Amino acid sequence: MKKLSLFSLMLLALWSCDSNKPSADIYQAALDSTRLAQPQISNEVVHDILQQIPSPLEISVLLKETGTRYNQSMLNNPKGVSKYNTSYQKAINLGIYGTDLGYTNIYEQNQDAIFYLNSIKQLADELSIGQFFDFGTIKRLATNSSNLDSLLYLTTKNFNNINGYLQEQNRSNLSILILTGGWLEALHITAQVAQTNPDNQILIERIGEQKMILDNIMLLLSFYSESNANMAQYMQMFQPLAEAYEKVQIINTYAEPTFEEVNGMLVVKDNSTSEVKITAENLKEISATTQAIRNKIIN
Amino acid sequence: MDMKRIFATFGFLAFILLAANTASAQCGASDLADNCITQMSDGFNFVKSFPIDGEKGAKNKIEYSYVFAKGTEYAINICTGGEAPDGIIVSLYDSNRRQVTTNQANGKLFKGVVYNCNSTGIYYITFTFKDSNAHCGGSVLGFRR
Repeated sequence: MKKLSLFSLMLLALWSCDSNKPSADIYQAALDSTRLAQPQISNEVVHDILQQIPSPLEISVLLKETGTRYNQSMLNNPKGVSKYNTSYQKAINLGIYGTDLGYTNIYEQNQDAIFYLNSIKQLADELSIGQFFDFGTIKRLATNSSNLDSLLYLTTKNFNNINGYLQEQNRSNLSILILTGGWLEALHITAQVAQTNPDNQILIERIGEQKMILDNIMLLLSFYSESNANMAQYMQMFQPLAEAYEKVQIINTYAEPTFEEVNGMLVVKDNSTSEVKITAENLKEISATTQAIRNKIIN
Repeated sequence: MDMKRIFATFGFLAFILLAANTASAQCGASDLADNCITQMSDGFNFVKSFPIDGEKGAKNKIEYSYVFAKGTEYAINICTGGEAPDGIIVSLYDSNRRQVTTNQANGKLFKGVVYNCNSTGIYYITFTFKDSNAHCGGSVLGFRR
């Protein structure tokens, strides 16, 4: 019986060990400032909403393909990383830097990408999630533009893994902030470019479409705002943007799709349409509010 | 409760936890999803990978969701242990739960679908099984403009 019990203890100890996860002490330290009463909503619901938030890379690709030139001055200064002291500030700015990294990658600005990688590494390490980044490989890929696909894949995968891990560890609040920061930065970049290209309807429509993403973000923040003052503060911060977006209308019209076979894949054409109704005044308000929120977060 | 009982209970729990941990890793859906990235159609940027673990037939539907943007093409590829999709059916539904596409068409099961999105909104990516052997696979979502 004693042998069996000892064996069981060893099994449990082995089961608890996983080399991919941080040690208990480091992990506990990172948890201290973020552990909170769980929201009155299941993890599955939070996970389902979180996974819908689109990749900020889509915006960067859109900007590049519509002929917009690279503009580093729109991005958050990577040297400002030491300003972020709390886990909440670190998480939301990790998301912001993540979008900036994606933007520099898409535009193949390798040197800038390295600066953002260093800032991301610092924040990720401080949040005890640095183990998800293989910085050596990422830096190697980043120095050669022919590795762009691998680089984008690796950084996207790392961020996906981090979000999955945080959700598993009941730290979804940080996951929400990372995704919120990434989304906000993408909106900020799009709004900045749209200001200098007022005739670019694609960009304006894309800004208007963010109404549905913001709805999700507000919903996620609301789940935590009752049990956590920091999350409530972020929700309050984003409230003026939600109010500005209330004036945006999205009209969907359904039509049957059509399809054809191409290279073993079924290619489907969506014949439905969506129309975004947004006025110039409304766009200005959204841009200004986005700018104001971002300034509070990054400074 | 005496010490023997405490140890016996503890030991039993340890076995259960170990068994559960091993069972969840058996299908290898996460690895299939990761490896599927190399199968992504040319010119598409990686967005997400989806494990498809049908738990040996115990689970018949696995669903994910994502906001698709107007003017963007999305590719959803399915990967299994072999060449064929092994009875894994992917269906795409719009925010009103109307089916907009599936890889099952013309009497065939395709290894993936490309969806040319013209209406921004939440889309539901649902995986189901029909005559599948392994009930296990991975999928990858990519986009291009």
